Amino acid sequence: MDKQVDSWTQFYRLVVGLLMLGAVYVIWPYVSSVVIMLVFAFLFTTVLLPSVDLLERKMGKRVLGVLIITIAVTGGIGIFIGSFISQFAGQAKNFIDQVSNYNFEEMIKNLVARLTDKLPEFITANLIQGEGLTSKLTDFISNITSYFQNLLSVATSLAGSIGGFLFNAIMVLIFTIIILQNYHNFKRSMVKFIPNKYFEVGLRLTFNIERQVSNYLRGQFMAAASVGLMSIIGLLILNAFGANLTLVVFIGIIAGLANLIPLVGPFVGMVPAILIAIMNNLGNQAAITHTLIVIPSPFYILDIILMFIIVQQLDNNLVTPKLVGESVGLHPLMVMIALLVGGTLLGPMGMLLAVPAAGIIKVIAQEISFVSRNAHLL
Amino acid sequence: MKSAYWENIFKDWRKEESATVLTLKQVPIFRDFSNREFREIEKLIHQRIYKPEEYVFKLKAPGEGLYIILSGKVEIFAEDARGDRNVFAVLGEGDFFGEMSLLDAEPRSAAAMAIEHTTLLGFFRPDLMSLLARNPDLGNKILLNLAKVIVERLRHTNILLTQSQEKADG
Repeated sequence: MDKQVDSWTQFYRLVVGLLMLGAVYVIWPYVSSVVIMLVFAFLFTTVLLPSVDLLERKMGKRVLGVLIITIAVTGGIGIFIGSFISQFAGQAKNFIDQVSNYNFEEMIKNLVARLTDKLPEFITANLIQGEGLTSKLTDFISNITSYFQNLLSVATSLAGSIGGFLFNAIMVLIFTIIILQNYHNFKRSMVKFIPNKYFEVGLRLTFNIERQVSNYLRGQFMAAASVGLMSIIGLLILNAFGANLTLVVFIGIIAGLANLIPLVGPFVGMVPAILIAIMNNLGNQAAITHTLIVIPSPFYILDIILMFIIVQQLDNNLVTPKLVGESVGLHPLMVMIALLVGGTLLGPMGMLLAVPAAGIIKVIAQEISFVSRNAHLL
Repeated sequence: MKSAYWENIFKDWRKEESATVLTLKQVPIFRDFSNREFREIEKLIHQRIYKPEEYVFKLKAPGEGLYIILSGKVEIFAEDARGDRNVFAVLGEGDFFGEMSLLDAEPRSAAAMAIEHTTLLGFFRPDLMSLLARNPDLGNKILLNLAKVIVERLRHTNILLTQSQEKADG
């Protein structure tokens, strides 16, 4: 009789589970953006919580702590974005002036002539065919020019994206403020629903997840800060050798932030540095013919790549092991799989969330294994 | 005439002590706490309701914290291999148990079961750990009081041991 009841209970649980999965599948498209906002708000809360708790202890009022931290963080981000936009606009104006005064046709003709001299005769005869390559490259440049002339439509869509991003950012900020203010009450309300039998296990699981995520995020942010600082120092050293890089602080900060995405981020950090190097050194013969020891490195591109590789090596071997340590304790293969899955599901955002999410899954799996081993004690 | 509007505005001025705070005041671990400190502790306390014959925890279960009885009765016991129950104590309102688990996650040395409809206040190690990080002064005050409780019990155990040795000797 008991066995029959058990199998009916299991069947009932299976049906309820499947129905719930189905419901989640149906409503997910409508709630996914809010869920992602809440996840980000939770992650920011985890990073900012110790500072708010500290201020609450010093000032006696939590709301004051939340207010100060919110003003400091949003002010810092605002100042960063504002000065970045104004400096980048100046940089872009200089670049456009430089481009409009520059004779691309002449440069391409020179480049093709130099190529034709250097390459064996049969290649030039078969592939380049006299003026063919020159005209193709000139067409390519004129296409690009006409593309930039249609900038208005690009700017409109960009404004739409910025508007969407700003809305999401404001919503995440509001969620973060609410969670920061009521974090401890929220946590208490959440665990209230755990049945008595699993209450202590549930509390420990919550605590372990919280500790795992907060250690990981704090370590990652400190590692990102150190990568940013090392990148700034590296770029200043390159400038001392004539690389003529501007927006050094911003490139450093972007490199540091990109570093939050494991494996892929470091390469993303190089891109703005290389772009700025090309923009600033267009027409500068010394930069175009620059060599790194004996290897040609036009626009200091190889120097920049080498500098970022050195920063990455210092970060991977010295800084991150000290700051992040074994906080997540995932096998490198698992990190790669998590990144691929996260990237496939949610793009760059998924890659950012992949490792902490994998860490949380690992903690839950450990607790489930612990509970199943000690089920007779609950 | 009383106005609900003004009642709501000034409700925080009254600062009446809740049943939770009144019960916490009876527990030696929260001895000499100010009202503000009690309000801080109240935020960390979990209120749980148990039916008669429901286990609070079983023998050898991994311990996570201490329970204080707000109302009802709890039996502390151990069962031998044959299932015979050896009852150590029946605790009532204001009593507390499981305080050793605030310090480590060692398995529980006895089982606890509600013997009537019981409301318990739980204070757990993860919350104590987060309190120690957030408010070390208050966290240390709890740890010091906890140490005093354990020292008192150790002293009492020593006296009982000495008495039983003296009885055995002669």
